Amino acid sequence: MSDSNKSFSYDDDIVKKFLIATLLWGAVALLLGVFVASQLANWKLNLGLPWTTFGRLRPLHTNAAIFAFAGNGVFAAIYYSSQRLLKTRMWSDRLSRIHFWGWQAVIVSAALTLPLGITVGKEYAELEWPIAWTINALWVIFGVNYFKTLQVRRERHIYVAVWFYIATIVTVAVLHVLNTIQIPVSFWKSYPVYSGVQDALVQWWYGHNAVAFVLTTPFLGLMYYFLPKAAEKPVYSYRLSIIHFWSLVFIYIWAGPHHLLYTALPEWAQTLGMVFSVMLLAPSWGGMINGLLTLRGAWDRVRQDPVLKFFVAGLTFYGMATFEGPLLSIKSVSALGHYTDWIIGHVHGGALGWNGFMIFGMTYWLVPRLWKSNLYSRKMANVHFWFGFLGTVLYMVSMWVAGITQGLMWRAIDANGRLVYPDFVETVMRIVPLYWVRALGGALYLLGFVLLLVNVYKTVKRAPKSEKSEVQNAVTLARVPLASLGHTPHRILEGLPGAFSVLTLAAILVGTFFEIAPTFFSAEFAPAVPNLKPYTGLQLHGRDIYVREGCYNCHSQMIRPLIGETKRYGEYSRAEESIYDRPFQWGSKRTGPDLARVGGKYPDLWHYRHMADPREVVPGSLMPSYPWLLKDKTDFGIISRKLAVMKSLGVPYTDDDVRTAEGEARRDAKEIADKLVAEGASTSHQLEEREIVALIAYLQRLGSDFRKGLIK
Amino acid sequence: MNKPPQEEKSTGHIYDGIEELDHPVPKWFQAMFFATVLFGIAYFLYYSLGEGESIDQEYHRIIHAERLAQFERVAKTGGPKVPSGEEFQAFLKDAEKTKLGAVTYQAKCISCHGSQGQGGIGPNLTDEYWLHGGSMSQIYGTIANGVADKGMPPWALMVTHEEVIALTVYVKSLAGTHPPNAKAPQGEKVSN
Repeated sequence: MSDSNKSFSYDDDIVKKFLIATLLWGAVALLLGVFVASQLANWKLNLGLPWTTFGRLRPLHTNAAIFAFAGNGVFAAIYYSSQRLLKTRMWSDRLSRIHFWGWQAVIVSAALTLPLGITVGKEYAELEWPIAWTINALWVIFGVNYFKTLQVRRERHIYVAVWFYIATIVTVAVLHVLNTIQIPVSFWKSYPVYSGVQDALVQWWYGHNAVAFVLTTPFLGLMYYFLPKAAEKPVYSYRLSIIHFWSLVFIYIWAGPHHLLYTALPEWAQTLGMVFSVMLLAPSWGGMINGLLTLRGAWDRVRQDPVLKFFVAGLTFYGMATFEGPLLSIKSVSALGHYTDWIIGHVHGGALGWNGFMIFGMTYWLVPRLWKSNLYSRKMANVHFWFGFLGTVLYMVSMWVAGITQGLMWRAIDANGRLVYPDFVETVMRIVPLYWVRALGGALYLLGFVLLLVNVYKTVKRAPKSEKSEVQNAVTLARVPLASLGHTPHRILEGLPGAFSVLTLAAILVGTFFEIAPTFFSAEFAPAVPNLKPYTGLQLHGRDIYVREGCYNCHSQMIRPLIGETKRYGEYSRAEESIYDRPFQWGSKRTGPDLARVGGKYPDLWHYRHMADPREVVPGSLMPSYPWLLKDKTDFGIISRKLAVMKSLGVPYTDDDVRTAEGEARRDAKEIADKLVAEGASTSHQLEEREIVALIAYLQRLGSDFRKGLIK
Repeated sequence: MNKPPQEEKSTGHIYDGIEELDHPVPKWFQAMFFATVLFGIAYFLYYSLGEGESIDQEYHRIIHAERLAQFERVAKTGGPKVPSGEEFQAFLKDAEKTKLGAVTYQAKCISCHGSQGQGGIGPNLTDEYWLHGGSMSQIYGTIANGVADKGMPPWALMVTHEEVIALTVYVKSLAGTHPPNAKAPQGEKVSN
C-alpha cells in the first residue's frame, strides 16, 4: 500500500433509501400504535376479524416500531455517518442494496404473516423461522459490508459513533441467532429448542438487548455524529466516551433477567439481572451528559433550531427512561410495576421520546443536505416538536397513573384478608379512561409526524433536479507500526477496528456466558418431574392456537410469590410447570388476568361462551370476541408431526404416542364436544372439529398438574 | 468548521469536522458509577451468597403472619358461622338487605346462572331440583365454599359474609318464578 490521493464519492443514494423507508414505516408503526391503543379503550375496534384483533396487531406494531421505523432510521444514520467518519464509500454498493431491499422484504413479510397469526409467540422475536433466518442472513451481509468498509477506511482511527455501530452489529448477530434456533414443523410453524425457564431467560436476554443494541447503542452512535454536527460544537469529553461505551456494552447484556423478577427463574439469576440494571444507570447517563455538555454555548440556538430541540429533548427522555429502567428493576418496585401499564409507559418514553426524537432531529438535518435543498418550513418543524413532546408526555403520564393504580388495586387486601378487588375486570374498567388519554397522546404524536412527512415532501420537491455526488479526496492509509497509532492503549485500539470488534464481542460474551450457559447444565432450569405427562396432541394444538391468537400479549402465565397474587390466582408458579412449554408463555403484561391456574376454574361451557363473546360472562370485559374459533376447523392432520418434532426435542412421547396422536386428539375432542353439548352449548354442527375445543383442552390443562399434586 | 474556544483542551482528534475535547469525566458521574457498582456487589453477595432473605422465605414469612392474624381474628369474633334460621329470617324482613342480595346477584352470578336465575353455564336456580342441597344452610355452604370441580368459586373469599347471606336469601326467593328459557332440571328434587 502506498500513500496515494484517491478521489471517490459517498453513496448517499442508499442513505436516501433508508431514510424514506424510515418515514414510510414510521407512519405504519404509529398508525398501528394509535389503532391498538384505541382497541384497548374500546374492544369494538377489534372489528370481529381474526387479522385485526389486538393479539395479532400488537406484535405488528412493536415489530414495525423497533425493526422497521427505528431499524431503518439506524441504517440511514450508519450509512451516512460511517462513510464520512471513515472517509470512504461503503465497500460494496451491491451488498448495501441487498441489505436494503432484503430488510424491506422482511418487513413486508412481517406485515403479512403476523396478522395471519403466523408467529413464534415470543415478544419482538415473533417472526417465524423463514423470516427470522432471512434476518440472520441479512445481518451477516450488512456486517460483512461494514467490516470490509472499516478495512478500506481512509481515517486512521475510528470515532466513538463507529464504536457504537460495531457493538450493534456484533451483538445483534449473537442475540438474534441464539434466540431463533427453532425446529420447523411446517413452513410457517416451528418450536424453539429451548423450553420453559430456559426459553424465558434466552428470550429476555434477547428482548432486553434488542432494546440495548437496536434502540440504544446505534442511537448513541447517531447522537455522537449528528448532534455535534448540528450544533457545530466539539464533543465534550473523549474520556467519558471511552468509559461509558465499555461499561454500557459490558453491563447491558446482563440486565435481561430484570424482566423475570419473582418468576420461576432461579433467584440468583434474577438478582444478577437486578444489580446489573442498577449499575447501568451511570453508563447510560454518560451518553446523555456527553451529548448535553456538547451543547455548552449553543443553548441559545436550541430555542430556534428544531434539530437541536429534538436532540435535547431526545437525550432528556433517554435520561429519564434510563433512570426509570434501573428503578423498575429493583425487586420491590417490579413487584408493583410488572405486568402493568407502567412498563408500557416506560418503553414509550424511550421509543417516542428518545428513538423517535433522535430520528426526527436527524431527518430535519439530513434531508436538506441529502437533497441539496432548504428545509421547507422551520416553523412546521417546531410545531411538530411540540405535538411530539405533548403526545409523549400524555402517553407516559397516563400510563404511569394507569399502571400504579392497577398495581395497587391488584394487591389491595382488606382487614379480613380478602382481596378488595377480587374481580379482575373491575381493575381494568377503572383505567379505561386513561387508555383514551394514551390514545390521544399517540394521536398527537402521529399528527406531528404527519407534519414531518409534509415538510420532507416539500423540501425534496423543491430540490434541484440534477444531483451530482460531490467528489471527495482522501489519502489511502499506509501500514504504520503499532506504537505510532497513539499514546494510550485505547488510542491504539481505535486504530485497530478488528481488535476493537473482537474485544467488544468478548465484552458481551461474558454476561451471555454467565447467564445462558448454566441453563444448559443446571437442573434448576429444567427440573425433572418423573410423573408429569407432556401435553396431549389436542392440548398441544390448542396451545398453538393460544400462541397464534397472541393471548400472551394480554395474559401472563406466571403467578408470583406475592400475597395479593396467590390470593387471586392460587399457589405461585413453579419452574416444573413450564418444562414442556415451547415457547414459554409467561407473558409480560396483564391486560387480562393470569392464566397459569385457569384450568378447572371454570366449566368448559364458560370458556366456550367466553371466547364467543367475553362480555356475556364477564360484563365490562375489553377482550376481543373470537367467533371464528367456533367455526374454524382443527387441523388434526398436523398433530402427529407436532408430536414428532417435540419428541426430537426430548419431550417424552413414545413412538406410539406420535403414531396415534391424530386419533387420540379426535377422541379427546369428541369427549369435550359431547360434554359441551350436554351442558347446553349451542349445538354447532360437528363441534368436535372446531378449534374452540382444542383451545379449551389446553386452557383446562393449565395448572392442573399442580392441582393434582404432580408438582409440589 | 468546529473551532473550540482557546481555553478548552482538545484531544486533537477530528473526524469529519467533529473535534473531541479532553474534559475529565465529571466527578459526580464517577461517584454515581462506583456507588451503583458497590451496591450491586454488596446486594448480590448478601442476597445470593449471604444471609439475605430469599423471595421464597419472604413470601412464606408474610403468609405465616397473615394466617396468624386470621386465627387471631377468628378467635376474637368467633369467625363467620353458618347463620341460624332466625338470622336468615331477619334478613328477609330487612328490605335494604334483600336489595343487597339482588344487587350482588346481578354483579357476580348472572354470567353463569342467568339474570333471572334461569341457569346457563351453571344450573337453574328457580326450579325444585338441587345439586348440592336446597336448604338455606346448604345453599349458603355452596355459595360460601364453592364447588371446585364444577367451576363454582368459593364466594366467601370474594364477597363479605353479609353478602353471602343476602345472596342465599335472594337465591331461595327465586324458587318457582318460572323465568323464560329456563335450563332443564339438574340434581335431586327437593320438596319444601
